[in-house]
Amino acid sequence: MTTPQTIAIGYDGSPSAQAALLWTFQLARSTGATVVVVHAVGLLARFEGQGASLELEQSVGQLAEDVDFDMTQLRWYLSDGDACSVMLRAIDDPVHADLLVVGSRGQGAHAGLLLGSTSLQLAERAHVPLVIVPMERHLDEW
Amino acid sequence: MLVVNGPVEDAEHEEPGHPERPERLTAALAGISDLHLGDAMTVLAPYAATRAELARVHDGSYLDELGAFCYAGGGNIDEDTYATYDSWSIARYAAGAGLAVIDELDRRNAGVGFVAARPPGHHALRDRGMGFCLLNNIAVSAGALVARGERVLIIDWDVHHGNGTQSIFWNEPNVLYVSTHQWPLFPGTGGSREIGGYDALGRTINLPVPGGATGDVLLRAIDDVVAPAVEEFAPTWVLVSAGYDAHRSDPLADLALSSGDFAALARRVARFAPQPGRLTLFLEGGYDLAALRGSVAATLGALVDSDYEAEAPTSGGPGAEHVARAGAERILAIDLALETEPKERDPR
Repeated sequence: MTTPQTIAIGYDGSPSAQAALLWTFQLARSTGATVVVVHAVGLLARFEGQGASLELEQSVGQLAEDVDFDMTQLRWYLSDGDACSVMLRAIDDPVHADLLVVGSRGQGAHAGLLLGSTSLQLAERAHVPLVIVPMERHLDEW
Repeated sequence: MLVVNGPVEDAEHEEPGHPERPERLTAALAGISDLHLGDAMTVLAPYAATRAELARVHDGSYLDELGAFCYAGGGNIDEDTYATYDSWSIARYAAGAGLAVIDELDRRNAGVGFVAARPPGHHALRDRGMGFCLLNNIAVSAGALVARGERVLIIDWDVHHGNGTQSIFWNEPNVLYVSTHQWPLFPGTGGSREIGGYDALGRTINLPVPGGATGDVLLRAIDDVVAPAVEEFAPTWVLVSAGYDAHRSDPLADLALSSGDFAALARRVARFAPQPGRLTLFLEGGYDLAALRGSVAATLGALVDSDYEAEAPTSGGPGAEHVARAGAERILAIDLALETEPKERDPR
């Protein structure tokens, strides 16, 4: 496997996604890769309004600041759809991700079942390497 | 004559605060009642689709998992989509309702069918529920019709693209899938260059329109782009994914249609049916209850020649140029695909 140039990290603000983002920052720092924070805009986004997206942006900014991650290496990709489809879309134009990263359990997921598990669905469908970051370690350990 | 599926009692598919809620069905049924059809309406007994009927369009492993998930108490399938203990049963009734309505229309060779059921279906993929949808209700009916040799036109005027239906019939030459929808919007699919798989090139027609588009834009899309393709396809059945979230009052999108526009769309689409008794509409989205009630009444009123007074049709919104461009891009995409090896094409 070659060194990843563009890492797409699925982010929904959950503790699992935060752990995955911190792991991604660490990898990107050592490889120089660009980190693209991917957020799926679902059907209910209209009900939640702009506030939800702003909160996510702030939480990513805060995590980057906490670990002193270079913000120039960071980009955003918001796309309409469910989390799995949007992550798969990030492999193509315009993101061209060559590595996908997700937490082991996102918002709305149901442990242990393919149904409701973005990470397991991606493992079945992605045609670039996928890293599923486990939640067993505390956030601070990344 | 209007043929409608019967309601399912004593079962709950509900999550507090979620817009896809039981009151939607109550509103749709109230819209039907507003027509005062009396003997000109037949309400059928509820019918739950069998596993074999569902398996024509869904993977068996997904059906097993969805059933197990519900019987374990349910939960959130994704950020948008929930299931409860009763959802597996309710979803099977929603998927079976169209089969029962079509059987009745077959028997009568007359009338119009309306499937008043939830949860909606057109986002549900072969192997995954999403976008409030668990089973793809219209696809279950279309799959049954195709299995007996029919040629099925599906018109999807829900404000969101019916990615599940498109995906299920991507390579099926006996289904012509047509979607008008707002773009960009969830689920992010439905571009005009999505034209069907190699075995069904041109059997998918996507006509995305911008926010603010009015009824005249969608009628023009039907007349200019869809009608010629339908004439060539020569359907034996017409099914409609009748979402009402393109109404100007809907909280989930930005199109500007009125109930009168749905009446006009229904009249246009009814012309595509080859004979009486070959048109059935399936309730999809629509989250403003008053708009949903009025739009269901206007749609069905137009089809059964009721004197229901709908809102005035709308015109003057943006989108005419988008429709023209989408039609041209579709033709180019088909030409390009015909020059491309099948293995190079991306199956959806």
